[in-house]
Amino acid sequence: MEAIRNALDFSDFPKTDLGVALAVLVFLFCFPFFPHSAFAMATMIQFFIFSLYGMGWNTIGGYGGQVDLGKAQYVGIGAYTTMVCLLRWDIPFWVSMPIGAGLSICWSFIIGYPLFKLKGHYFAIATIATSLVLKDLFEVWKFVGAARGLGILPYKYHPPDFWRLIFKEDVYYYYIIFAFFIVGLLYMNWFRKSRLGYQLRSIKDNEEVARSLGVNVHWAKIKTYAIATAFVSVVGSFHAVYVKNIEPEDTMSLDISILIALMAMLGGAGSLWGPVIGAGVLIPLKSYLKEWLGAAAGLLGIDLIIYGIIIMIISAFEPRGLWGIIEKIRRRRRI
Amino acid sequence: MDILFGSIVSGVLIGMVLALVALGLTIIFGVMDIVNFAHGEFLMIGMYTGLLTAQATGMDPLFCLPVAAAVGFVLGVLCYGGFVKYLLRGPMIAQLLGTFGLMLVLRNLALLFFGSEDRALHHGLLVGKSFDIGMGIILSATKLATAVLSILSFGAVWLLMNRTKIGKALTATALNRQGARYMGIPTERMNMLAWGIGGATVTIAGALIVNFWSVTPYVGLIFTMIAFTVVALGGFGSVPGAFFAGLVVGLIMEIPGFWDFFQLSFAIDWMADVPMISFKYTWIYVAYFVIMLISPRGLFGWKQ
Repeated sequence: MEAIRNALDFSDFPKTDLGVALAVLVFLFCFPFFPHSAFAMATMIQFFIFSLYGMGWNTIGGYGGQVDLGKAQYVGIGAYTTMVCLLRWDIPFWVSMPIGAGLSICWSFIIGYPLFKLKGHYFAIATIATSLVLKDLFEVWKFVGAARGLGILPYKYHPPDFWRLIFKEDVYYYYIIFAFFIVGLLYMNWFRKSRLGYQLRSIKDNEEVARSLGVNVHWAKIKTYAIATAFVSVVGSFHAVYVKNIEPEDTMSLDISILIALMAMLGGAGSLWGPVIGAGVLIPLKSYLKEWLGAAAGLLGIDLIIYGIIIMIISAFEPRGLWGIIEKIRRRRRI
Repeated sequence: MDILFGSIVSGVLIGMVLALVALGLTIIFGVMDIVNFAHGEFLMIGMYTGLLTAQATGMDPLFCLPVAAAVGFVLGVLCYGGFVKYLLRGPMIAQLLGTFGLMLVLRNLALLFFGSEDRALHHGLLVGKSFDIGMGIILSATKLATAVLSILSFGAVWLLMNRTKIGKALTATALNRQGARYMGIPTERMNMLAWGIGGATVTIAGALIVNFWSVTPYVGLIFTMIAFTVVALGGFGSVPGAFFAGLVVGLIMEIPGFWDFFQLSFAIDWMADVPMISFKYTWIYVAYFVIMLISPRGLFGWKQ
């Protein structure tokens, strides 16, 4: 009960923030009723998926300050578990999703224990390394379809299938991921005020001091890593049934890992709204730039050039992200 | 046994090349604690420079090295002065992602200008020549030349770092930036110089590698990862460390060719039919992980 009250309690934010957040939520809820293209719909679903990934990353990377660039491996574990369960044993999504999350958490404990003995750059590169090892393994593992991956044939089922989450219209997926999004946001709101959240922030500020205050630093990091993992894995499962065709290259590649970190970083790591803002800016930008400049104008790669320049500018001039800019403006107004 | 000898020799040769690739990264990290994700992209630019100058002028690709070095030096200095200078003020995550953005920009600029097709050198003094010296050891002339030049470059950098005033100033900046500034060392210029040297060494490596490796705009990532592994194994910031770690990684990469033998002997049926050689990068990551756990500062590391 206490936890739920904490999760629903947003009172430490200014009123204007809450007003804007509510307006955005109402807009997101009503979005499918407005006339929209299928492309816009797909972009919105991508936005939800990546803001959830970003929230997961934000626990360990934002609040904890541990630069984790290997989150894609858990996207892969979640997605593949759901896919394999569905195709081999016809296990519905709502059962296979917790199984996938459980497997991810087990794996995160196995590699997290040694990983968190490393620090800084060594840690960041080690997370990349583990992720790439797992990807290489999946690329040759026959049971999960090796490099060709796995695919659902939707006509074998009877959409709309709410157990297996197989639909013809994207609008069903939209509302399901929207519900995930709300739950994720509430969980994050609880997390940042929980005991673990405070411990993490103290670790980020100064690990030695945190240890001297009686925080079990290693264990706190591992626990948070598992939480981040569960987030990413659950959304990975959703990703599998949504795109219906997964291969190691597009679920577990380094680009995905870095995109996940980027969402939180660009929006503002270590703040509740950061990943949402980051995904809200980056995902539409990325897909529309690709659509307009890459595909329509025939200029290969120009979308990614613009995208890269934005990343460079943000990280050089405002490393606390868009949220940092907002806070700066606010502080200036107050004075 | 012959296969083993052959793998070891080619592993040592490729290891020296990889060490040269990683040299720039370790210099840059040593001086200013920044991990450059765009390192492989610098290499890719070096490869294109070598290839295009060779094709445009009709010279042998080996003589294009000075051009590549100049391009790399200018590129490194420009990147530092125009971008990395500002990154250094931020936290580590901003540095990682900022250089990742640089990598995206460089890679896609190459894609825009050069197209996505594979390009390779077909003509040249050494291209395609090799010596068979028995016991299954086949030395390809390009790799041999590359290895020799790699040793020369390492020697030059070692001399620069240890025997000249500039090198001492660079080391001083690496050890204690504030102190170095009080002693009258222009640390800002030293940082820029480190980027210049780093860029020049890696583009030289690229211009050498293009002799036996075809180039696409996407070639950078795998080299970035290998360079990270080499640098972390050797210890961030250590020049001799990079050399020995390069050899270790080269051996790890080539010996799985010998391991194909195991796969044939014990037919593994859960695996798709791929030769073990396609795992060669996987073993690098595994080795990195294991060595990091045993000695978290790498083999020769002196920086945290």
